[in-house]
Formats: sequence, C-alpha cells, structure tokens
Amino acid sequence: MLRSALRRRGSDEQADDDLKDPLGTLLGRAGRGDQAAFADLYDALAPLLYGLVLKVVRDPAQSEEVTQEAFVELWRLAPRYDTSRGSVRSWAATIAHRRAIDRVRSEQSARDRAEREAQKRPIHYEDVAEHVVANIDGTRVRKALERLTEIQRQAVELAYFGGHSYREVALLLDVAEGTIKTRIRDGMIRLRDELGVAT
Amino acid sequence: MSGIDIHQLAAAYALDAVDERERAEFEAHYPTCPVCRPEVAGFRETLSQVAASVAVPPPTSLKTSVMDEIGTTRQLSPLLPDSVVNLAAHRQRRQTMQRALTVAAALLLIATGAFIVGRRSTGDDYAKAAAAVIDRPDTRITTLDGTGSGSFRVAWSPSAGRIVVMGDGLADPGTGKAYELWLVDDSGAHAVRLLDKAKGQKVRRVVPINGSPKQWAITVEPEGGVDKATGPIIFSGAV
Repeated sequence: MLRSALRRRGSDEQADDDLKDPLGTLLGRAGRGDQAAFADLYDALAPLLYGLVLKVVRDPAQSEEVTQEAFVELWRLAPRYDTSRGSVRSWAATIAHRRAIDRVRSEQSARDRAEREAQKRPIHYEDVAEHVVANIDGTRVRKALERLTEIQRQAVELAYFGGHSYREVALLLDVAEGTIKTRIRDGMIRLRDELGVAT
Repeated sequence: MSGIDIHQLAAAYALDAVDERERAEFEAHYPTCPVCRPEVAGFRETLSQVAASVAVPPPTSLKTSVMDEIGTTRQLSPLLPDSVVNLAAHRQRRQTMQRALTVAAALLLIATGAFIVGRRSTGDDYAKAAAAVIDRPDTRITTLDGTGSGSFRVAWSPSAGRIVVMGDGLADPGTGKAYELWLVDDSGAHAVRLLDKAKGQKVRRVVPINGSPKQWAITVEPEGGVDKATGPIIFSGAV
C-alpha cells in the first residue's frame, strides 16, 4: 500500500520499484488508464495466463474467452493493485486461475465431475503432471515437484491444474479430507521452499 | 470451522481448492492474520512459477479482442468501490458541504421504524449461532466494499431469518460512535443493528432480520444508534 502510494509520487520511487518488479510500473500506468502500457503488460503476461487457463480449462476456445476475462479484470482492478500483496505475475496468475476455476466449476456440479472421474480410475497422473517443459522455469518447477512426495505432488497438481477442490482431491485419491488438507499444505510449503520463494 | 482449522486453509485457498463458504470465511480472516497473510502471498508466488512452467502463447487475435474490450471497460476507482450504492459516495467527495444530506437522499436511508435489536452473542454462543446461519443451503454472503480500513461481510440466510455480520481490521469509529448496519430494500434503508464499537478491530454478530435486503450499508453513528442515517456510507455491498 505504501509503496503503491509512493509510486504515484515521483520518478525516483518509480525507478526503485522498477528494480523490484518491472511489471509494477506498467501496471501503475495502466491503472491510470494508459492503454499502451496495458498492451505491453499483455505481451508480458499473455503466455503465463493463457497457458495456465488452458491447463485448467483444456478447451482452447473457452480458454481464450477466460483469458480475455482475466485481462479485462486486470484492467478494471489495475488502480487497486497493491504491491504489498505480491508481484504482478503472482497477482495476475491468481486472477486468471480463479476465472478458470469458476469456468470449470460452473459447467457442472463439482461433485459430479469428481465422481465421474473417480469412476475412471486408475487415473493417469502423467496426464495431469504432463508439463510443457520448454523453458528453464519448466525444468526448475519439474525438479521442485519431484522433491514432493507422490501424494503431495498429486494433490497439488489435481487442485491447481485439475481445478478440483481439496474435497474432490480427497475423493480422487481416496484419502480422508483432513489428510488431504495436510498433504496439500505440506506440499505447498515444500514447493515454496524448493523454488526459493521468500516468505 | 474452528479457529485452529482456518489457519490450515492457506494452501488450499491459494490453490482455489476451497468451496464458496470456506473462501468467504478465509477471505474474512487472512488479510488481518499475521500467519496466513504472508503464507498466502508466498504460496501465490510459488504457484505463479508453477504456472510459468506451462506457459503457452495465445493466438495473436486474442490481443486485439482484449484491447478492444478494455477500450470500453471502466476501471475501478483506487479508493471507492464501483457499486451503485457508492455512486453517492463519489458525489459526496466533491460536495463535502452537503455530505450528510446527499448521502441520505441518494441512498434513501429513511428508517421505517424497523429497528431490530439482536441479542448479544459472544464466544461459543456466537460460533454456534453463526454456524446455524452459515450452514444453511440458502445463505448468501456479501462482501461489503468500503472506503474505511478493514472489511465487512454479511452472511444472510432467508430461511433462518438471520444474518451473521463479520467485520475485521476495522478502525475505531471514535469516541461516542459506533458502526451501524442498514438493510436497503425497495422501500428504502432500515436500521438493522448498532454494532460493537470495534475497539478490538473486530465485529462478530448474529442478528435476526425481517424482509428481503437488496443491499447492505454501514455508517458510523452516535453510540446510542439512530433510525435515520447521519453519517456517510463507509461500507456497502449488493446482496
């Protein structure tokens, strides 16, 4: 909050912010209605958001719609972006993921979906885990995921990419709800530490 | 959900792997929780890296569609929420001279004598009473947007005829003042309940209500309560 307030004040603070999160400057300008800045922001974020949405939603046409919704949401909310809440990429991914989840959950009752998929067992986790490892990020993340226990990794991926609630994940993995909550939490802590995210 | 349990939800919440009710409860909790807030931020950063590992460039036509749409999309104000009820608050910023009058008129904050006093509920009593409302299948949770610090949520179950009011991270309303909740429907605004003075920055209330709210609004009023709003709307939200 303080930093975003400072950003509006002058170029010195802005230069300082640039070093911390270059996208923050673009978002700051976009938040004042600058469409050219938003176009640059789009270029920087589009593969991240579209790839994530596609992973969750699967259908390319629907994924485009959802990605567009997410960008319009970013535009609407840009004046309220608060640097103290995290990086622009993190904020944008949060918004896009939420949109993707809303899309898959509105399509049919979440419970129905989990039960149908549970009947198709055994699940091929490779499908869920199949990562497009075309970049350094991909390799790092894959390695970090490999450090998780099998159930932690499955739980995190089924939730994040599969779009399942932890209750559904419990059903899919045939584990008690309380257990799955713990596995998800332990898995996320491990992943965070493996990826060196500061806390 | 117990107080211990809620801290366990940060990871599932960051993954969007919680249901609507848990999401609402957690969102009322974590922004002011010294444990959960940094945890959610850390998990989100982590997940943005996971997301980057599956990055795929979208079709080029998507950029044109996005830029076309934002060209006709209004941005939210940095301070005031973009809800109908707060149009009055926007106006009020420019017309401070007529502050109370403008807000009262624009929001039809006309009390109709339906001043309902809820029983005091604290601790276990509160938890039990709140669960009885929140657990109902017809419960609708509204997050109120506001200009003040903190946040308010109102969970309303028509079948229970009760609401749960949850305020967090609130500023002290000032000496001799208290937060007051208003139910806004087609016939105007009705005083529902004078809330705690929020010295602990937190409000937890279960209150019986009549009628069918369209919006909730919160003002700061003299401690005894008023049946016609005198203060500006500081939080509001459409049901």
